[in-house]
Amino acid sequence: MVTATAQTTQRDTSRTPRLALRGVGKSFGVVRALNDVSMTLLPGEIKAVVGENGAGKSTMMKMIAGVETPDEGELLIDGVVRHDLTEAGAAALGIAMVHQERSLVGHLSIAENIFAGRQPTRAGLIDRRRMRRDAAAILERLRVTVSPDALVSSISPAEQQMVEIAKALSQELRVLILDEPTAALTVTETQRLFEIVRELRDAGTSILYISHRLAEVFALADSVLVMRDGTRTAERPIADLTESQLMTLMVGRELSFERVRRSVGHGGDADRLTITGLAAPPRVQDATLDVRGGEIVCLSGLIGAGRTELCEAVFGLGRRTAGTIRIDGAEVDIRSPRDAMRLGIGMIPEDRKEAGLFLDMSIELNVAATNLSTVAPGGWLSPRRMRSLAQHYVELLRVRTPDVEQHVDHLSGGNQQKVLLAKWIARRPRLLIIDEPTRGVDVGARTEIYAVIRELAAEGTAVLVVSSDLTEVLALGDRIFVMAEGRITGEIDGDEATEMAILELASPKTRTAEEVGL
Amino acid sequence: MTEVKDHPTTTSDNEGTAAAPSRNRGALWALRKAGTLIIDNRPVLLVILILALGGYMAYMYPVSFPTAENFGAVLLNAAQSGILVIGMMLLMIGGSFDLSIGSTLALSGVVAALIITQGGLPPWLAVIGGILAGVVCGLVNGVIVTKVRINALIATLATAGIIRGVTQLVSGTGVGYIDPEFAKLGQTTFFGLQSPFWIMIALAAVAAVLVARTRFFRQYYFVGSNERAARLSGMRPPRLILISFLIMGGLAGIAGVLSAARLNAAVVTAGTGVELQVITAAVLGGATLKGGEGTILGGVLGVLFIAIVNNALIIMRVDAFWQNIVVGVVLLLAVSLDRWKRSAAT
Repeated sequence: MVTATAQTTQRDTSRTPRLALRGVGKSFGVVRALNDVSMTLLPGEIKAVVGENGAGKSTMMKMIAGVETPDEGELLIDGVVRHDLTEAGAAALGIAMVHQERSLVGHLSIAENIFAGRQPTRAGLIDRRRMRRDAAAILERLRVTVSPDALVSSISPAEQQMVEIAKALSQELRVLILDEPTAALTVTETQRLFEIVRELRDAGTSILYISHRLAEVFALADSVLVMRDGTRTAERPIADLTESQLMTLMVGRELSFERVRRSVGHGGDADRLTITGLAAPPRVQDATLDVRGGEIVCLSGLIGAGRTELCEAVFGLGRRTAGTIRIDGAEVDIRSPRDAMRLGIGMIPEDRKEAGLFLDMSIELNVAATNLSTVAPGGWLSPRRMRSLAQHYVELLRVRTPDVEQHVDHLSGGNQQKVLLAKWIARRPRLLIIDEPTRGVDVGARTEIYAVIRELAAEGTAVLVVSSDLTEVLALGDRIFVMAEGRITGEIDGDEATEMAILELASPKTRTAEEVGL
Repeated sequence: MTEVKDHPTTTSDNEGTAAAPSRNRGALWALRKAGTLIIDNRPVLLVILILALGGYMAYMYPVSFPTAENFGAVLLNAAQSGILVIGMMLLMIGGSFDLSIGSTLALSGVVAALIITQGGLPPWLAVIGGILAGVVCGLVNGVIVTKVRINALIATLATAGIIRGVTQLVSGTGVGYIDPEFAKLGQTTFFGLQSPFWIMIALAAVAAVLVARTRFFRQYYFVGSNERAARLSGMRPPRLILISFLIMGGLAGIAGVLSAARLNAAVVTAGTGVELQVITAAVLGGATLKGGEGTILGGVLGVLFIAIVNNALIIMRVDAFWQNIVVGVVLLLAVSLDRWKRSAAT
């Protein structure tokens, strides 16, 4: 490891590291989040930080951004030891972090959000003209075509992510920390972000880039820091590693998302869900697709293509203006999640924290939420049944937790996702819709979740998976539907699908004036 | 109290002697565990507080505090807030609350009184009428909050004023000398305690079991914790919130009728400021403004605690004006306790 660092250093031997950690440790109560971690970040270096959820990446970044203080070890910025770095102190030193969690205020304008707390002033009052102009310049640089006056709540999640990045770019930058910045971005937006990151690097800014997407790491980074269980397992130039070597370093074992050939199981020829000409304005125009029993159907497409909205329409959320939904061949009128659940439909939403889980509640209560009739026969709650139901599924899905009384906000992303799966699998749904099954989930948990989904299908459940991750779509789908601009643009057999074929179908052909105006 | 005293000694032992750290750490762990158990379990904490305050008062004022008459007075005072806190707790578990309960209480009392004095109808109809008036107020609040989608703070602040105004319009200064038969409802004693207390105990017992153990009422915890996730789990949050407002209104109606019966008079200023007492009690009992937490038992014990604090102030001959100040401070302390617990947990 010493040699590896030395190699990276060769390029700039004369310069002191922009940022260095020396034997840093941090504990939260009994949990050891970081243990003896060292790292060197040079001026003008892009360092990817990779590792499973709970490996300590976020804690480390928060330390650099002054949110957390290390219990042990030293944090050096430009060769100077900084004890008790505060958020304000870090910002003054030119350290900016783009958090995974959104920090924007919905009912304020984009410009105001970009300059939050640092609005340019004239004679003590906010200089609105200058703020607008500066914001517009930054947005222009990011090629985001929204007005700086637009309210943050009126723009798409992807655009919000770009505003978040704009916020970091609006200040003098010496170190930029990006935590999973592309999770909500489309391919073009991601490419634009990469260009900007490279521009920043060439101008001397140092970048720490956290990502689960290894392809991005190889495309962008100069070096990589691998974390596992709160310790550093490697810090090397990216050129010294292959993708599978990196994955092995991350999880400590060989892993890949191999496509599993499966024969479509029981009732494989009967249509479980048939959607015909469905419209749910504004996002879904005319969607037709079907899912058979025992089959995994993936719905691919770009952010904003209307996939989530289509699923929500099937689950009784949002307004359907045209088209029919059939379950087992019979037309149904689903007006609420309750109606959908009565028909044996389950839906796992894409935003597990906002819409999926009861974060301040225990695992057993979370599982109970969708299974009240099982745990409360005749209306009377049975704590014993509640416990055994949760315990059964915690074991089945291998949720890593000491017990089912654990609050779900204490679990890692992967384990939270498993609890969310448990909530719905326990209902034994006839059709399960899963929106982004592994967003923000580490590599190890991903393979486990895929196995669960396949198992579920093998037992006869019809599974509809919405995913922006092409490797996931290719690994899981028996059939793949692609959606663009509210329409299903094609259907591909899972065994014959390629990334190119999907991307082709997913790219928008025409753009209405309205959408460009957004 | 004991663990506060023991803490420093155990810690210094730990630093001083490396010989038996595991045993000491075990003891420390047990104390910390006991400490968090007490803080996590509001009913237990409140029982300890009540016993401590009661013990102190009994020791300092052996003549005036530990008497049957005084206990009777404390429990009678607690009855009204105790009935109200049941509904408030349910609302707060579901992530909502109601500031109009004092006004609803006054209106219900006046309606019950007028049914007898103006309508010449029998007392049992007056009781039903008064409670119904409360339910109607609850319905108005619930519809404004869930259908018009105005948040509970603004909605019930507005209706508090409106309902109080309606009460004054209907009855002027109030209704006196209602009916001796009606008054019995609030003045009869069983086992030395007046009926409002027993009614409160009965309602609280039923509510505690329902909220703790039935599928229907358990849904409020989910709605309060994450309304969107609750909806996506097949629950109907607006309907549930509306129902909790109806229950709150009905309970305020019962409290209003009992108050009128106890005094044999319906006063338009009845229940003024009662929302402060009741919300304080609910927060003491584990409720948060965010929702998803709290128990009926906790709320009732919170009421009891505040009643004893008020009683202690009276016995200590502290000016009555101080009571509101003390209750306000208790509310702030209860919320700080919650904050402190949360920051300690992370």
